[in-house]
Amino acid sequence: MNRKLSMLVLALTAFALPTFAQGTATTSSSGGGFVLSVAFAMAIASGLCGLAQGRAIGSSAEAIARNPGAGNVIRGSLILGLAFIESLALFTLVIVFAKG
Amino acid sequence: MPHEIWITAFFNDHFAGVASAILNAVGVHAENAARPWTNFVTMEILVALVLVVFTLILRPQLSYDKPGKMQQTFELIYEFLREQADEVVGHEGQKYVAFFGTLFLFILFSNLIGVIPGFESPTMFPAVPLGCAMATFLVYHVLGFRAQGAWGYIKHFGGPNVFIAPLMFPIEIISHLARPLSLTVRLYANMFAGEKVTLVFLSLVPVAIPSIFMGLHVFVSLLQAYIFTVLTMIYVGGAIAHEEH
Repeated sequence: MNRKLSMLVLALTAFALPTFAQGTATTSSSGGGFVLSVAFAMAIASGLCGLAQGRAIGSSAEAIARNPGAGNVIRGSLILGLAFIESLALFTLVIVFAKG
Repeated sequence: MPHEIWITAFFNDHFAGVASAILNAVGVHAENAARPWTNFVTMEILVALVLVVFTLILRPQLSYDKPGKMQQTFELIYEFLREQADEVVGHEGQKYVAFFGTLFLFILFSNLIGVIPGFESPTMFPAVPLGCAMATFLVYHVLGFRAQGAWGYIKHFGGPNVFIAPLMFPIEIISHLARPLSLTVRLYANMFAGEKVTLVFLSLVPVAIPSIFMGLHVFVSLLQAYIFTVLTMIYVGGAIAHEEH
């Protein structure tokens, strides 16, 4: 069942192929292939960023629950860590805007 | 061609010659020779002027017995920075609080001034975070050389012992070069993305929702200024650290 579902998803990405027909509507560095790869790059970056931040928040919530006295220190590390992870996803966004 | 804000238009109308002279002296060509001032240059100058004016107003008001509100606010900021420097750099960090404080306040004000309509964050353009990152890079290497001597500092790039030094040198050099790159891109990307996200939501729902994203942008501005400063402190601490046996 899982394998059939992933095959279906892969087949559905074939619907994205018409973006190659876009041609040189925009500047020369951003044709159809660029748009497709940018979409995937941003999706992967944001998805992995979401997973990483989820783990960070989960661990810190558990830590605060175990030791409420250290709540402020843990919250400080949490915010700092979230900002670093967020920056990694934003690096990908910068490439999107820098390259086309 | 990015839209010129009113400050830049004013500078371009009256001081275009000054900018052209400075640019010609260093051999750089402006994008638009008739209007050489760019948004981020004028906004940087404005932020620097604002900071200088604040301190000029504050200085005569400093009092030991009866501190006013402005003095107390600045004392809060200074105590925060000194505590962080102490924690991150060690007991020698207090000598460099001036540099960390300047960096922190400049980046903080630069980030926040973009929220006011009619102004633009200079940190939204890659040149300004690059300038701050290059300042950090130069400062921490110079401090490292001064603290440990030229040969002593270079030896630290070699790692714990002489046998893995040929492997460690390239790794360390690449990781040191990656530092200003990551500092620049982190600050630039956060500011740029914050503005773009607000604009996107402004084009979707013009009324109340974009203010949530502006609030997020303000929080991210504060956080990113703090992160830049803390990373600078970490790098300075790593450069001047003496191995205690």
